[in-house]
Amino acid sequence: MILAQGHEEPNILRIHWDEFTFGTIAFVLFAVVVYRMWPRLMAALDERANQIEGGIERAQKAEAEAEEIRQQYREKLEEAHREYARELEKAKEQRAAIIAEAREEAQAEAQRILDAAHAQIEADRQHAFAQLRGEIGALSTDLAARIVGETLSDTAAQNRVIDRFLDELERSGTASQAEVR
Amino acid sequence: MHSAAQEEGCHIFNDFGCGFQAPTTELFFPAPWVEFGLPGTSGITKYLLVLIVATLVSMAFWYFTTRNPKVVPTRAQSVAELFVAFVRDQITRNTMGKAGDKYIPLMVTLFIFIFTMNVMGLIPGLQLPVTSNLAFPAVLALFIYLLWNAVGIRRHGVGAHFKARMVPAGVPGYLLPVVVPIEAISNFVIRPFTHAVRLFAVMFAGHLLLAVFAAAGFYMFNPMSPMGPVLGGVSVLYSGIALFGFLVFTVFELFIMAVQAYVFVLLASVYIGEAMEGAH
Repeated sequence: MILAQGHEEPNILRIHWDEFTFGTIAFVLFAVVVYRMWPRLMAALDERANQIEGGIERAQKAEAEAEEIRQQYREKLEEAHREYARELEKAKEQRAAIIAEAREEAQAEAQRILDAAHAQIEADRQHAFAQLRGEIGALSTDLAARIVGETLSDTAAQNRVIDRFLDELERSGTASQAEVR
Repeated sequence: MHSAAQEEGCHIFNDFGCGFQAPTTELFFPAPWVEFGLPGTSGITKYLLVLIVATLVSMAFWYFTTRNPKVVPTRAQSVAELFVAFVRDQITRNTMGKAGDKYIPLMVTLFIFIFTMNVMGLIPGLQLPVTSNLAFPAVLALFIYLLWNAVGIRRHGVGAHFKARMVPAGVPGYLLPVVVPIEAISNFVIRPFTHAVRLFAVMFAGHLLLAVFAAAGFYMFNPMSPMGPVLGGVSVLYSGIALFGFLVFTVFELFIMAVQAYVFVLLASVYIGEAMEGAH
């Protein structure tokens, strides 16, 4: 039954040339389709690869830019901090300088006032001394005239006596005056 | 199903002594619808019909998936790209390196074409893998054989190509009289033959196996057995087991079909890579 219709031996390794031809035609047809469509598909794939690469590149560039800006900001911030510190230092110095100046001025003023007071005192003293000298002279002569009983009418003699007296007085007075000072 | 050789109504547990008749290689010799009447021709048979279907399916698949390729792929385009990426990364780059990129379209063609022809064995109504007829794998193997020689000769010249294929490097001179004929027969005669037969034989055997399961399931299905309802039930159980086996082997066969397409393309790629490389 199996070989009943057998107009030929069923050799499974047979190759019929008509089938071979049909197979060739089929293969060529399909290959033509694939090869015709191929460049467009590859163009799309290449374009995709390009875009991905471009995207990566852009991202890297943006990242670098961001990093640069960050760096700039950091530098600016540091600069601001340094500026602030410098200003603070300067302010401190200024304050110290102002204080020192004020103190110096105050001292100078005090000194000036003190000196003026001293000068005034000295002047007053001189004045009082001169006045006192005249008065003491008059009193002395008057007193001496009363004691001696005669008037020292001779002005020259009178003056000599007074001066001598006062010189003595002054000599003793210098010592006491030094103590006061 | 594949029971052309079987008598109608022949089932297990019958009462007229009809035994199981396994499907034979007759499966692969469909009766021609039109005969050419020329020697060495098969005429127009089911193989031609299935081949036409497979070719149209392949062409339509590739045309409709890649006719308008976009940078952002559609679903269909992604499928086509999957084939390209698979062939490029798993086959040509591994065997030929970057220089093999120009053979990617050829290898994609081969892979899809062979796989489609194989899968025809599972399409209901067709159920005949085109590659189970040696003529069709032979077309492809012969093409690769010619291309292999053409690439080798164009790259290295006639002498260098044949020398590289017949005289392996590092073989001592006194062995050459033995080695050269072996290499020559191996590379120029046996290899293209096995390249075609490997694909053919696996598809042939797989198809026959599925046919046996289908025929057995058909044969064992006899619920109205004249030997009584018990044996009728048993026959249904047998039939169910055969059906299960058929389904399992169908899935397995699908895997084999893909693997065979891969193996054929891989070998083609290895051969052409070898021709490009010249002597080792």
